[in-house]
Amino acid sequence: MSPSRVAAIALRIVRQIARDRRTLALIFVVPAVVMALVGASFPESAGSGVLSYLAPALLAAMALFFAFILTGVSFLRERTQGTLERLMASPVRQEEVVLGYLFGFSLFALVQSFVVLLFTIYVLDINYSGALWQIIVFQVIVTLGSVNLGIFVSTYARNEFQVTQFIPLVIMPQLFLSGVLWPVAQMPRYLQWASDFLPLTYAVRGLREVMLEGRGLKDVPLELGVLLAFAVSMSALGAATLRRG
Amino acid sequence: MRARVKEGNLDTGKKAAAVEVGRLAVSFGHFRALDGLDLRIPAGLSFGLLGPNGAGKTTLIRTLAGLLKPQSGQVRVLGQPPSPQVARNIGYMPQLPALYLELSALENVSFFAQVYGLIQGKARRAAMEEVLRLVGLWERRGDPVLRLSGGMRQRLSLACALVHRPKLLFLDEPTVGLDPELRSTFWEYFHDLTHQGATLVISSHTMDDASRCDELAFLRAGRVIAQGTPEELIRAVGKIGASLEDAFLYFARRREEESVTQ
Repeated sequence: MSPSRVAAIALRIVRQIARDRRTLALIFVVPAVVMALVGASFPESAGSGVLSYLAPALLAAMALFFAFILTGVSFLRERTQGTLERLMASPVRQEEVVLGYLFGFSLFALVQSFVVLLFTIYVLDINYSGALWQIIVFQVIVTLGSVNLGIFVSTYARNEFQVTQFIPLVIMPQLFLSGVLWPVAQMPRYLQWASDFLPLTYAVRGLREVMLEGRGLKDVPLELGVLLAFAVSMSALGAATLRRG
Repeated sequence: MRARVKEGNLDTGKKAAAVEVGRLAVSFGHFRALDGLDLRIPAGLSFGLLGPNGAGKTTLIRTLAGLLKPQSGQVRVLGQPPSPQVARNIGYMPQLPALYLELSALENVSFFAQVYGLIQGKARRAAMEEVLRLVGLWERRGDPVLRLSGGMRQRLSLACALVHRPKLLFLDEPTVGLDPELRSTFWEYFHDLTHQGATLVISSHTMDDASRCDELAFLRAGRVIAQGTPEELIRAVGKIGASLEDAFLYFARRREEESVTQ
């Protein structure tokens, strides 16, 4: 493993995205616009309590969604332009490529997650009990897992159309089955079982414990552990599917 | 002199081999892109892979670069099977420029220099300046690739493949889309590189490129049908005024006749 090669790949991605001003502007603006719409769509009669209850799930879901799209599409572009193949013909190792891309894409994916978080807390003015840094830890782990998921999944797409089809396949079921919109306990038994295999379930559950119940990270070891294991396993799968030859 | 038509066992010539391939088979589904191909490329030459579209040139180059895994057969590049360690001494220029469009010419070359292990700032800067001057892009080094013409992108792609001073270069149709003047300039670079001891493996389907190579292999349907210097291959036709195109057709016909009699 060469840290200098990992750093070179990550810095190159950061430079590339930072040079494209329109992309950069969209990275900042889109999450804020989406959260503004979410906030504005809530009827006053529902009261601020409903939004505060939904906020942890929304934070986790948005982090998963934005990071997946950003990474999936950007990584696919590298494949279709031939730059990934060129890189794979160099002395670089698969794990260096995955780590380089992870660090590079994560910077912007985290920016989007933080825009969602700060907008939700300071503009939508939701109430939360836990410490802000603990919420951030959850957001970071969800985002890293989703970036790795995007890298892994995009290796199975040949074009933009195909990668966007992975959104309804990979992201949408999680929105419906992970307790974002309604409690998992109210779903049929077999769907409750299915939700146990979805990372968003653990993100939603953990963030609710921290934000609504005021619990600390040490109180949610299962949720944190599953999310970390998901991020690491997606990273390993991404490296495995990138193998040369 | 009769051209050496090589198939089956690897030739053990006197000159060290940069590439040795034995009974190489690569398939995409049911399509056999390389069908038991044998080839030995001596070190220090510009070696052309000539053949029509679909002959297996790009598949062979991608396999030699370690990007495709063969179904069977042996591949040795600089004496070893393709691996990240061997890749340090190899330069690869794909058919498409494969550059980072938002980054400048200098940033593209710098990235590949770092990936190939040129970490030290001073050495890297010197190598980058050398290759960018070589391809005539030093004055445009700050321009993003998006603002460079097609020919300039080809030149930059070559610079990226050369920056770490590889011993062996795989160039997949490097002169496609270049005007005659630029093609001539590229060939000057290529001859300079072989004089410095590098081995160049160049795929092409143009006779102009083929005639400039030190040695050639004709590829057809995933196999080498003939190998030799351009002069040897032309002489084998046995006609005055024969061209490389005639030589290719001659060997292709002979191969067809052989397969019919078998």
